[in-house]
Amino acid sequence: MTTTTTPPGTGLGTSGSRLGAPGFGRLVRAEWTKLRSVPRWGLIMLAAVGLTILVSLLSASGSSFQANLVAPPPTGPEGGQVTDTFRFVHQPLSGDGTITARVRGLAAIEGPNHPWAKAGIMVKDGTTPGARYAAMLFTPGHGVRWQTNFVVDEAGSIASGEPWLRLTRTGDTVTGYESTDGTDWREAGSVELTGLPATAEVGIFVASPPSDRVERQFNGTSVTSRPTWSTARFDNVGVRPASGQQPATWTDEAIGMVEQAKPNAPGAGRVAPVAPDAPAGLDGPGVPPAALLSGVPDATGASTVTGTGDVAPRAVDEDLTRMSLSGALIGLMPIVALGALFITAEYRRGMIRTTFAASPRRGRVVLAKAVVVAGVTFAVGLVTCVTAFLVTQPSQRDSGFVPPLFPDRSLTDWPVARAVLGTALVLALVAVFSLALGAILRRSAGAITVVVLLMVLPQMVAGALPLTAARWMMRLLPSAGFSIQQTNPRYEHVSTVCLPETGCMPDSPWLGVAVLAGYVVVAVAAACWLVRRRDA
Amino acid sequence: MEATIEARGLRKRYGATVAVHDLSFTVPAGRVTGFVGPNGAGKSTTMRMILGLDAPDGGTALVGGRPYHALRTPLREVGALLDAGAVHPGRRARDHLLWMAHSNGLPTRRVDEVIEQVGLGGAARRRAGGFSLGMRQRLGIAAALLGDPPVLLFDEPVNGLDPEGIRWIRGLLRSLAAQGRAVLVSSHLMGELEGSADHLLVIGRGRLIADTSVAALLATASGDRVALRTSRRAEAMEVLANAGATVAAIDAETVTVSGLPAERVVALLTARALAFSEVVAHRATLEEAYLELTGNAAEFTATADPAEFTATAGREA
Repeated sequence: MTTTTTPPGTGLGTSGSRLGAPGFGRLVRAEWTKLRSVPRWGLIMLAAVGLTILVSLLSASGSSFQANLVAPPPTGPEGGQVTDTFRFVHQPLSGDGTITARVRGLAAIEGPNHPWAKAGIMVKDGTTPGARYAAMLFTPGHGVRWQTNFVVDEAGSIASGEPWLRLTRTGDTVTGYESTDGTDWREAGSVELTGLPATAEVGIFVASPPSDRVERQFNGTSVTSRPTWSTARFDNVGVRPASGQQPATWTDEAIGMVEQAKPNAPGAGRVAPVAPDAPAGLDGPGVPPAALLSGVPDATGASTVTGTGDVAPRAVDEDLTRMSLSGALIGLMPIVALGALFITAEYRRGMIRTTFAASPRRGRVVLAKAVVVAGVTFAVGLVTCVTAFLVTQPSQRDSGFVPPLFPDRSLTDWPVARAVLGTALVLALVAVFSLALGAILRRSAGAITVVVLLMVLPQMVAGALPLTAARWMMRLLPSAGFSIQQTNPRYEHVSTVCLPETGCMPDSPWLGVAVLAGYVVVAVAAACWLVRRRDA
Repeated sequence: MEATIEARGLRKRYGATVAVHDLSFTVPAGRVTGFVGPNGAGKSTTMRMILGLDAPDGGTALVGGRPYHALRTPLREVGALLDAGAVHPGRRARDHLLWMAHSNGLPTRRVDEVIEQVGLGGAARRRAGGFSLGMRQRLGIAAALLGDPPVLLFDEPVNGLDPEGIRWIRGLLRSLAAQGRAVLVSSHLMGELEGSADHLLVIGRGRLIADTSVAALLATASGDRVALRTSRRAEAMEVLANAGATVAAIDAETVTVSGLPAERVVALLTARALAFSEVVAHRATLEEAYLELTGNAAEFTATADPAEFTATAGREA
């Protein structure tokens, strides 16, 4: 309810008192009038739109991918590409049942242990790469894990030692247990593997992911990925079918290895000795002799298994959505200029005095400007990003980024929508950041330089810095906001090489935006404080 | 709200430079108060302090009894022209007034009214960058009038105006005062205020030199002198000197007499049958009165530290 009565005794009766305090909306409307009434600023916005789309298009048509050289990787049950390469000593289990084993040690054959090397037990829908599975496993770096269908990874409670592991199948449900002594069992996870056939493969397995070595010099980075081999010792390996039947016989198999080691490959410098019982795929060059130290469990249930590879989602280097939106880094520059000019133009001509005389509460003026510039930039940025995403799709397909390796993407996929909305949000935040610095410095050149340097320079100099320093720089500077453009999922249980110079952001999408937003909040607060304190 | 501006002990310094020192005055409703002093005297600084743009180091400035920052729709209470150049050159004149109107919740109708009032009707949709200085002054005045405020401040409004414009603004200032508004007009040229200001605040080196009505200032400067025109100059001078007056010859037929009222001069000359063609009370111009007042200020101008002067002038810009 609004009231128009004047409190008794005041009786000032001036127009100002009757109307009360001007709403924030008035200030926003005034600032919007200012923004829309300077045609040059509209041109700056158009330049941002044009540059973003143009640079995105160039980037899309400039990169290429030769799909025919790479065999399509298997697809996991949850969708998405997976790596499914490991040593599996297994046997069929019909119906319900249990498999138990104790991991007595897991170590790399040469070099340091890979933190995500895996030794454990598995129930899997056959031996085709990409088939659904549930596993209890031990890793040197991350203790006992419960992992299913490549994407699920949960930590168990045992971090080191010689853990007992158990999987129990009941219908479609597989439950994982861990124990330190083989008597007290704790449940670590449970999953329903819908469609698991009556006879599944169960067994012990070892995987050892490739280790990446990064060599960085200015203007050049090379990533060398070398396979690692790890050996695990098991004991107390036992399969107990619920039906009470005798366990079947063991098969030692290298799953998904055929592609990796090609016999008689040209230029093979070393011929590995071939053990008579070496499983398929483990007989190529580059396979250390020790890798063949493997065997099915003996009568006491003891076994040694050596393996390589990984059972995990496949890390995709190319992020097509990020590529589609890469022009935003350049399109950002006109927006930085606009944000700064929106207030420095007033300082330059003394118009700021007219503004502050009309609205003596100066902090609110800065906030109103921020609202207007953010709103306009977000709206324009959103249209730009959607357009850039749509127009770059055909050129990306022409460049070889085609299914199945690069599935079709749509604006309705959340990661894509997040990247598109997020990029518009980043542009809006940058505009406000620039506005705030313009208010602080009162000079266009200074404000624009600072913001452009903070947003663009990190990607340019990242290659010249040590990796750790480069990553921290990408984390801590406002350019971290661009992490929102990343759409490829990241998994904690997959080691990836994240190189800042290739645009990989170390942070998760929203954390990066939060870093940028933090800068914006601090800058706006400083701007409000300064404009109130200073003479206009 | 009572239509007044009140300064009490205003002080402001920029670094080592004292811009305004202990300045107190009142600008009452219903008259045009001239605010005069040489460039760098502190006029613009004072106006900025009244408008809450610069914070005084001491003292207070009140508009209608309240500090400026307490006003919620200040354009409805105080109109100000500070710097006619303070307009974005890419913005149309009408849009410049429009955002100001929006910021204080004024109706769009007011924008069109003040544009007509200042005679910019034909240029309302032109970009301010193409305006002459005179047109910008008119736009600045339109901005000051936008909220129909009872208190108005104009800093050097005559700058850049053509004679027609000067006549127009004098009429405008007088009519604004006649409507009961308090009007403060600054100028570094006394002559600009002649014929429009009723009252004068004379300021030099940031200090108030005189706070006086125009009539009183002129009377002081004229100093009761009488100018006499006669063909018998020598005899007339002797008679008047004997009567106790100080007489000075200006030219062959003109003398000035001080120390005797005009009636006594006429009576003495008539008694001796000395023919004269003209006896007038000598009227100093406002400019003369001002120069007399600021004799010290002129001295100061000559001896002032040039650095200090530049610094102050910089703030004026």
